[in-house]
Amino acid sequence: MNIFECMRVAIRGLISNKMRTMLTMLGIIIGVAVTILVVAIGEGASARVQQTVADLGTNLLTIWNGPPSMHIAPAAALAASSGTSATSSNGVPVPPQAPNRLTLQQAEFIQQNFKQTVAAVSPIIRGNVQIRMGGTNATTNLQGVETTYPFVNNASVELGSFFTQSDVDGNAKVCVVGETVVNNMTGSPYTNVLGRSIYINKQEFKILGVLTPKGTGAWGQDQDDVILCPITTAMHRILHRNLTVDFMGVRCTSVKMMPLATQQIASYLRVEHHLQPPFPQNDDFEIHSATEILQRQQSITGTMTTLLSIVAVISLVVGGIGIMNIMLVSVTERTREIGIRKAIGATPRDILLQFLIESSTISLLGGIIGIALGVTGAVILAKVGGWNVIVDPSSVVAALVVSAGVGVFFGIYPASKAAGLHPIEALRFE
Amino acid sequence: MSEVESKQAQPMLSLRDIRKSYVMGDQVVNALDGVDIDIYPGEFVAIMGPSGSGKSTLMHIIGCLDAPSSGSYLLDGIEVAEMDDYELANVRNKKIGFVFQGFNLLARTSAQQNVELPLVYGRRKDRAERAIAALEKVGLGNRLDHKPNQLSGGQQQRVAIARALASDPLIILADEPTGNLASLQSEEIMQIFQELNDEGITIVMVTHEPDIGKHCKRTVTIKDGRLLRDELVENRVMAADVLVEMRQEHDLLHTA
Ligand SMILES: Nc1ncnc2c1ncn2[C@@H]1O[C@H](COP(=O)(O)OP(=O)(O)O)[C@@H](O)[C@H]1O
Ligand SMILES: [Mg+2]
Repeated sequence: MNIFECMRVAIRGLISNKMRTMLTMLGIIIGVAVTILVVAIGEGASARVQQTVADLGTNLLTIWNGPPSMHIAPAAALAASSGTSATSSNGVPVPPQAPNRLTLQQAEFIQQNFKQTVAAVSPIIRGNVQIRMGGTNATTNLQGVETTYPFVNNASVELGSFFTQSDVDGNAKVCVVGETVVNNMTGSPYTNVLGRSIYINKQEFKILGVLTPKGTGAWGQDQDDVILCPITTAMHRILHRNLTVDFMGVRCTSVKMMPLATQQIASYLRVEHHLQPPFPQNDDFEIHSATEILQRQQSITGTMTTLLSIVAVISLVVGGIGIMNIMLVSVTERTREIGIRKAIGATPRDILLQFLIESSTISLLGGIIGIALGVTGAVILAKVGGWNVIVDPSSVVAALVVSAGVGVFFGIYPASKAAGLHPIEALRFE
Repeated sequence: MSEVESKQAQPMLSLRDIRKSYVMGDQVVNALDGVDIDIYPGEFVAIMGPSGSGKSTLMHIIGCLDAPSSGSYLLDGIEVAEMDDYELANVRNKKIGFVFQGFNLLARTSAQQNVELPLVYGRRKDRAERAIAALEKVGLGNRLDHKPNQLSGGQQQRVAIARALASDPLIILADEPTGNLASLQSEEIMQIFQELNDEGITIVMVTHEPDIGKHCKRTVTIKDGRLLRDELVENRVMAADVLVEMRQEHDLLHTA
């Protein structure tokens, strides 16, 4: 009996027992779907981080507030700092903070004194704000920045212009907006908003320019849902946090200079913050490079992949045991059929093959359904959730091979049981 | 018997002192207790005897479906006890066509596919043509796509005979092929066997009905696992004649 005929017989049997077949396949389906989906998410995330690092340039350092133990990831630190300001303005007790904060003066000092290693420094203060334009309200992310921002962060204005040093010196109520803000306020990202007024926390600002869109960031955030204004304006008029900043971007003169720049900045900040050794344990700041973020992301992906592999292996084993169970039931149910086949000349190998093909057909079908579900899930995440997901064809092929292999492995015992049946005893079986 | 023996030098089947015992707890059942039979090409043998006398056990051994506890069995000159599982499967596939009392067709499988099955295992290329020819021979050329549950008992048994015929076996073995059938259908089955035997196919069948045994050329009677009688049939009944009579009776009943 050739393979295709066996498969046809197997599939016919499976269709006549739909519910049982589905339940049997469930383990394989879940295992494969989860694997495909998580691999797609992991690949997508790591591609995005690589893209972000490439966009920012490898010679960028960022300096963050707080001791290392307070930071899980820079993103978490951001969430924590904006949360803190919100509670304090509500009069709720403020959770303990890092004793020293980065300040504008320190940013200025780094910019002025390490010319050999540092090209420019861009201190940033940020917070969530209410905005209104015409009758439309929204919340967005306000960042108070210096004029160095476009250079340090590889940003540019698409329309209009960035604000100038005199705007910063004069706490001017001017701003540059991201495309998402334009879209949210006017219903279209292409509306000309130059020179128009926008109310930020009820204060009127003039729009000077629109930022070139950057798309989705490394952590899935919309980088165009942002308003930039002079850092002084943000400190004194909106966020009311005088002179302390949330973080700074430092553009080094070259990649080679980054270790030295890191060392110079760290020594300076330790003196400035009156810190005692040992270092870096007692540091109340963190200095990261873009490549470090990349490495961190890769190690997160690695951990995730390991966990995922365990989940996948467990569900494939569970699925395989389910298949073995159902094949044993099938062999018992079809004992007479096996007897008939043997009586008319089926060899033990013919019977073995028939049941192996049947079990691997079940698991292969389960694998195909799992792949379909995983890919569908990935597409939905991409379309609806805006996630960056990449379905790697090699992971699909691997899933197919593994699921067929599970069927063969867990089918061996029931199939050899069938192949070893005595023809007369099998025919006599009721 | 000596008359038959003189015609053919070598028997197709030759059983010598065949024994088969089953151990049931501390009891030993001697289903076959030293059987000697020779069957020559072209014979049509009925194995008769009361229930439990060992007829099926003997047929299973002849059909290479079961092994004797001891004794020698030469099939076509080859000692069956020396064959491995693959050679036995090949013998069952190519040299023997087995017909069971309970038909033993694959359910939910068409008549043609059932008949093709031995050809599939025999890796024959022309299996569709052969299967159709075999079904036509048993008068079911118009039932190729019927499933067993869409056929009468007699028709199912004819499908089983077509399956046994499909790979041109040396011998057809039938264990109570009419046991589950009404008399008209039994007669139709016997007619097919007689036609096949006339074409030169060797047939060995089991029956406990003397009327059916009379259709064969030779009857072998066993009792308690031993050979009791081995005789040629006198006044052989031809199924074709009986069927004409039966149909006339049937017609009379319905015209009256
Ligand atoms: N698998 C078996 N296990 C135990 N006893 C068996 C088995 N098969 C047959 N027998 C016994 O062997 C004897 C002959 O059985 P069988 O050949 O089926 O008789 P028949 O076909 O003539 O009715 C019976 O007594 C039966 O109970
Ligand atoms: Mg019997």
